[in-house]
Amino acid sequence: MNIAHIALKNLKRNTTRTWLLIAIVSVVSGAIFSAAIFLKSADHAIKSVSDRLGADILVVPENAELKAKAAILSGEPTHFLMDKAILEKAKGIKGVKRVAPQLFIKPAPFTCCYNVDVFLIAFDPETDFTINPWLEKHIRRKIRADEVIAGKNIPVVPGDTILFFGTGFKIAGTMELTGMDFFDRAVFMSMDAAYKMAEDSRTKAKEPIEVKRDKISAVLVQVKDDYSADKVAIMLEHEIKGIKALVSDTVLITVKKQLSRLTKAALAISVILWIIVLLIMALAFFMIVNERTREIGLLKAMGANKAHISAMILLEASMLSGLGSIAGTLLGFVLLANFKGLILHYLKLPYIFPSSLYLVAAMMGSVVTSVFTGLLSALLPSINASKIDPYEAVRRF
Amino acid sequence: MIELRALSKIYKIAGQEIKAVQKVNLTVDDGEFMSIVGHSGSGKSTLLSLMGCLTRPDMGSVLIDGEDIWSRNDYELSKLRNEKIGFVYQFPSLIPTLTAAENVFLPTVFGKKRSIEDAVKLLELVGLYDKTERYPSELSSGEQQRVAIARAFINSPKFILADEPTGNIDEETESEIMAFFERMNKGENTTIIMATHDVNLLPHATRKFRMKNGILYGIS
Repeated sequence: MNIAHIALKNLKRNTTRTWLLIAIVSVVSGAIFSAAIFLKSADHAIKSVSDRLGADILVVPENAELKAKAAILSGEPTHFLMDKAILEKAKGIKGVKRVAPQLFIKPAPFTCCYNVDVFLIAFDPETDFTINPWLEKHIRRKIRADEVIAGKNIPVVPGDTILFFGTGFKIAGTMELTGMDFFDRAVFMSMDAAYKMAEDSRTKAKEPIEVKRDKISAVLVQVKDDYSADKVAIMLEHEIKGIKALVSDTVLITVKKQLSRLTKAALAISVILWIIVLLIMALAFFMIVNERTREIGLLKAMGANKAHISAMILLEASMLSGLGSIAGTLLGFVLLANFKGLILHYLKLPYIFPSSLYLVAAMMGSVVTSVFTGLLSALLPSINASKIDPYEAVRRF
Repeated sequence: MIELRALSKIYKIAGQEIKAVQKVNLTVDDGEFMSIVGHSGSGKSTLLSLMGCLTRPDMGSVLIDGEDIWSRNDYELSKLRNEKIGFVYQFPSLIPTLTAAENVFLPTVFGKKRSIEDAVKLLELVGLYDKTERYPSELSSGEQQRVAIARAFINSPKFILADEPTGNIDEETESEIMAFFERMNKGENTTIIMATHDVNLLPHATRKFRMKNGILYGIS
């Protein structure tokens, strides 16, 4: 038996108060932990998307600007077309390093396994520079006409066959998770395969799609190193009528700004919550010391010195806050993992869960911070307790 | 040995001075069983607290084994109380979340290391061999007081300062407690200094005193 044992047993004295304090710490530490993980996940995803987008500028029809942004930011399947001639015009603009076409098709609901809108994106294997690097790294060959690459959230594995507009395609591979539905719920095929699929859909599909070979949805532009993407975008819009040039960084900046605002708000709220918990715990421990004045006097009569008395109070506080924090972070983790979809739907932010190592480190950090908070809150009460005059305290019989 | 030299303690309550202990001179040898009888407010409890270094005198000195205890710092006084002095009060004040054995064992947490078996043996000596794992709420007031008494003896103290140890219990338990005190006084040479308002307990002691208005009188 030691002081820690006594402190632990003291938690059982007033179980209602103990559980309430644990609950307060649990809720606050869980909320702060969840907010921190959520923001880290969003930041992680934005970095991943920034790397994946590849192109500096996305050229789309003027009237499709909003649809295009919605597609990139929230992966909302969309379909719009413009003349393929724009591709050559874009190639000739000063500052443009290379261009590649893409075709966006919003298919009928996925016939295979679940009811979700898949985003079909067709690319030119000869000129593309966003999908080809992945192909070179993972399957080390060009995609065939009867093959597609699936995003991570499509429930297929390499070798599976899926049907679009009556045409079957084999899954050649699945991409890594990016946290953005634009990639994670997309299926990539070659443009030739897309055009043929559209042609064949007239006879094979229940809902045929009309896409002529002289049409594309967007042009991906890579800018030369010594040119600014913003300036090239202006030139593109000036030289080519009827288009909108979306600078990738600008599109993501909106998300980054939103994330930055959320982070600041979360930080401010976290500080306020932390102060509230600190004050509540301090009040509780002042009350506890007051209740146990006589008992503390008796302990001193038995030979407990100031350090013993302080240690007992501080240990009790750190156990309370430690237990509350463990419960809170575990609950926060479970809620985040299970309600991820709801959060994504409402906030429209990209999201990749951090690595297990980061999560464990964050949980440990949360518990340590919580224990420190408990110690800080009980510091003054413990000092007061250690100074109790044993004779005066015992006289209170 | 405890030596009190011109010991005085004065309280100020609502602007009035109350002389709780007035110029007490006393020597208690090792192995004595001393009783101090007096009414409530006579200064008995204050005198015991002064002897047990729970409160500092306003005048005079307290010497234990020749040393002025108030020359020690707070840490050393705590050590002294833990190793040499055992306190018994009218109300047991056990820790409600600890078992009887754990309550008896409690003083060892702050000083000398002992085994829980020592606590169990003491509980057997006070007649609670079958209640070691009970919590205070499961014990009668007499049983709780016996646990408190066992607690006072766990570190084999030289002195036991008992302030109305039988004030709140039944006659049968009172007899058992007094018998236990006598056994420990004679068998272990523990010095017992007991304050009581009950003159019927005087025969148990080898030296008897009366306290009135803070002044100590010997009783022959």
